[in-house]
Amino acid sequence: MRNTGFKIFIVTLAIVIAIFFIAPLFWMLATSFKTDQEAFTSGIKWIPEIFTLENYTYSLSGGSDTPVFTWMSNSLFVGIMGTLLVLIVDTLAAYGLARLDVPFKKLLFAMFIGSLTIPWVITFLPLYMGFNQFGLLDTYAVLILPYSANAFGVFLLYQSFKAFPKELEEAAHLDGANKWQVFIKVVLPSVRPVIWTLAIFTFMSIYNDFLWPLLTTSSPEMRTITTGIAIMQQGSFVSSPGRLMALTAIATIPVILIFIMGQRSFIKGVTQTGIK
Amino acid sequence: MQRTSWKSKATSSLFVLPYLLLFTVFLIAPIVYGVWISMHDWDLLNPVKEFVGLKNYLNIFDSESYLHNLFFEGLKNTFLFVIFSVPLLVAVGLGLALLLNALPKKMTGLFRTAYFIPYSVSVSIVAIIWLWIFDTNSGLINQYLQKLGFSAIPWLTDIPWAWVSIIIATLWWTIGFNMVIFTNALNEVSEELYEAGSLDGANRWQTFIHITLPTIKPTMLFVTLTSTIASFNIYGQPYLMTRGGPGTSTQVLLMNIVEEGFNQRQLGNAAAMSILMAVIMIIISLVQFRLTREKKEAVK
Repeated sequence: MRNTGFKIFIVTLAIVIAIFFIAPLFWMLATSFKTDQEAFTSGIKWIPEIFTLENYTYSLSGGSDTPVFTWMSNSLFVGIMGTLLVLIVDTLAAYGLARLDVPFKKLLFAMFIGSLTIPWVITFLPLYMGFNQFGLLDTYAVLILPYSANAFGVFLLYQSFKAFPKELEEAAHLDGANKWQVFIKVVLPSVRPVIWTLAIFTFMSIYNDFLWPLLTTSSPEMRTITTGIAIMQQGSFVSSPGRLMALTAIATIPVILIFIMGQRSFIKGVTQTGIK
Repeated sequence: MQRTSWKSKATSSLFVLPYLLLFTVFLIAPIVYGVWISMHDWDLLNPVKEFVGLKNYLNIFDSESYLHNLFFEGLKNTFLFVIFSVPLLVAVGLGLALLLNALPKKMTGLFRTAYFIPYSVSVSIVAIIWLWIFDTNSGLINQYLQKLGFSAIPWLTDIPWAWVSIIIATLWWTIGFNMVIFTNALNEVSEELYEAGSLDGANRWQTFIHITLPTIKPTMLFVTLTSTIASFNIYGQPYLMTRGGPGTSTQVLLMNIVEEGFNQRQLGNAAAMSILMAVIMIIISLVQFRLTREKKEAVK
């Protein structure tokens, strides 16, 4: 059948494209194990001739200007705390708006959804000034709090709370549970997949954010890994592709791990940002 | 059940209160404060902030003022990127989704992961990897080109190559997002339509034009919109890969706003520029939304 020929063509095409997507990451990894001399002069070597761990030991030893562990723990801390904050306030708000007798419910919901169309560029400068005035630049507060205003999570959770069968809540109410207990014991467990989706999405966007942490941190101890790397790239690692790639590989590992573990949820999250 | 007393309303409000508080402090207040700053001669080093009304905005439109160039050159460069990147982001995203769809079912997951993985890293990592690949002397691509007998291309230091490099890196980084959204849309095209099509003897191309495309139109709009907004916000790629060069040819608007606000410390000007940029972005979204709505109505 002519279909077999088509299939072979499709699979070959898919493989060629996959190489385009994977090769850059592989090249980064290969370079991170090369000596700088080899990286600069030896031509195309996908497998290093002289396999060295020196780039990794140097970066991880936390030499004077590369506190990699501090940057990494900053990124993880900021990502986790930011995500927890978003999850707590968003689930509460979304449930309140979807199910409870909150005054001005319609207005609030319209306001939150409307905010999704406001470009972020309008807030970053005044936000910076605000944090500056309260002396909170270069602290964890400035790296965590601003992400909490994003209405995406409220919108996402609102949808699933709306879809949750009302009868289950009413039954729990009749058993004498109050709003809070119903929320914690009955409603929350039922939307766990959506919460996971939002968690992974939020964590990755905070962990990977670049411009905001770049502008609001100045001391080497407060940098996140993404900004730390960018600064090393222009600073003392400028002539050492090996060290730079080792640092890059170290920064990439946690996100790729989380991404692969939560891939299903993450892809579902991406899908749900689309319109139905 | 008729317990909608003020007490019940009060406890319900407590659910929304924490988010509303954060929303007000970190979104509403900054917008108001931004407008306020934009109407002042706000020099970070000068304690006196003089109220100047709309002067900062008028300066942006006054061709004599340096702000005019800063804003419109940045805008022009940003537009340039948007115009070339968005069609590619949409078309290639859809192409990849179609490819995934055509693959044998068992392979879909594997290839989807392969194409989507770059989306999980941050822009600074994207920039570092591609800087090294595009490097004129020891970069991967030029080494291959020279092996094949071509001369090296100044990927990062010449126009239009600098833009080509930035766009390739951006596609590599973000295309997975659009691909996943399109994959989902394609899955929702009804089997019956396809069957009807094949009964009528439609070939692959005809099926695509007459059945697939019309069905995924809302998704096309959504992807075009999100890609446009994301492309407008471009900062990290030119900042890290080309430093805005060669000359100022990849100096995008957001870079100029950051430069004016944080390096020149002219917060009033920078705030006015960012508000204007936001207004342009909102107008573009509205226009895109309108256009597709009108088309839909015209069809009816």
